[in-house]
Amino acid sequence: MHINWIGLYTMFRREVERTFRVVIQTLVAPVISATLYLFIFGTVIGTKIEDFAGVPYISFVFPGVLMLSIINASFASASSSLYFMRFTKGIEEILISPFSYLEMLIGFVGSAVTRALLVAGLILVTGLLFGAVSLVNPVGFVLYVAAISAIFAMLGIIVALWAESFEQLQVLNTFVITPLTYLGGIFYSITFLPPLAATITKLNPFFYFADGIRCSMIGYSEANSIVGFLVIAGLVLGLGILVTQLFNRGWKIRS
Amino acid sequence: MNTQILEIKNLVKTYGSGKTQTTAVKDISLSIPRGSFYGLLGPNGAGKSTTIHCITGIAQPTSGTILIDGVDVVKDYKLARTKVGLSPQEFNVDIFATPEQLMGYMAGYYGIKKEVRDARVDELIKQFDLEKHRKMKFQKLSGGLKRRAMLGRALVHTPDLLILDEPTAGVDVEQRHDLWQYLKKLNEGGKTIILTSHYLEEIQYLCNEIAIINHGKIVAQGTKEEFMSGGKSVEDRYLEITRNDNERNKK
Repeated sequence: MHINWIGLYTMFRREVERTFRVVIQTLVAPVISATLYLFIFGTVIGTKIEDFAGVPYISFVFPGVLMLSIINASFASASSSLYFMRFTKGIEEILISPFSYLEMLIGFVGSAVTRALLVAGLILVTGLLFGAVSLVNPVGFVLYVAAISAIFAMLGIIVALWAESFEQLQVLNTFVITPLTYLGGIFYSITFLPPLAATITKLNPFFYFADGIRCSMIGYSEANSIVGFLVIAGLVLGLGILVTQLFNRGWKIRS
Repeated sequence: MNTQILEIKNLVKTYGSGKTQTTAVKDISLSIPRGSFYGLLGPNGAGKSTTIHCITGIAQPTSGTILIDGVDVVKDYKLARTKVGLSPQEFNVDIFATPEQLMGYMAGYYGIKKEVRDARVDELIKQFDLEKHRKMKFQKLSGGLKRRAMLGRALVHTPDLLILDEPTAGVDVEQRHDLWQYLKKLNEGGKTIILTSHYLEEIQYLCNEIAIINHGKIVAQGTKEEFMSGGKSVEDRYLEITRNDNERNKK
């Protein structure tokens, strides 16, 4: 099978150029948010809290702050980019070009992951300035970041295809992603929770995302790693198949 | 090499389902010879743009076959798409991109390497007199310049077949005549062009073969000379054919 590598690279390059065209929205805003989280939860509150899991509280919350930024960046990149293309009919440029449906998936997801990695890099630098970064498993860290970005990029694609207005574009983020992220243990350990709440948290996939990144950074995990792997791999595979099928059927993009 | 650059057989395209189902194209068959300048005429909603969308991959045919240079646009869609370039009726572009970027991105999508791509974009920018505007945002360009940028984008991968859907809509008379000269030159250089337009003098001036679509069907097809027999203009013949067809449909 011939892969259109130059076409895919062009899609990534275009997204990077778009990212830098609106740099305040795409790169500066997440860094400011992360800085505020680290200052408030790490410096102000964290210094009053004893070390947890053998690390300062700021190092415990940093993976969650990083995950929050990655999720927002990849979801916003894929959803806004594709929805804008639908809105302006710019999607027709992709439809008439020699891309297979799998290549379209790789192109859109890869572009969003690229932006998420740019944001992750900047947040890591910010974390280093706060002394919050440790990395016990760099390979695992990169894999977790890439997989989580890919999951939210694919969710962003589905929402961009479904939405009929800019308001609808925010529905999933407002009612699902944000609540589940904050309830997924990004700022606290589930050992702080009553048993029932801890059990419910284990049903939240975001708990496994945060735990995976945290484990790769500070080596501390509260989740069953096999369950975590199955949740993340299952979502990547399931959403990948679903999005490829949607592109294949041309849902909302091909009449 | 196929003598027919485009062969459409029994093309049907329906939208929606159940009570809302509409058939935009009803069993169209067409053969377009290589090197021709082919005019596709018809009133609004006749099925011209839908047919073009099926050829280019923007729409999925409900049934029938479309071959571009012998390549099936559904079964072998990746190869088929390299053979056709489209300048659509609506500006389907990122309005914040420049003509140079639009052509460059499109060339990239078609898998053209950077050195070849840059040279090709320079060549098209020159060919369409866009040197002064190559770094200007698309939204800031005049109607005529936008159309030229769209033409450049459609030609960047040197397609065998160029499809122009209302390429002079919203363009002033002088710029329209300039565009005609570009198109004529392209066709004389061997490019097969399909043109849809509501300006029938444009069709008469540029095209050597014509088909009329009405209510989703081909109602007339032939050479320009055949259309203009008896000293009629293309416009006179077009009105005669579509009015007769509309009367038949009313009955």
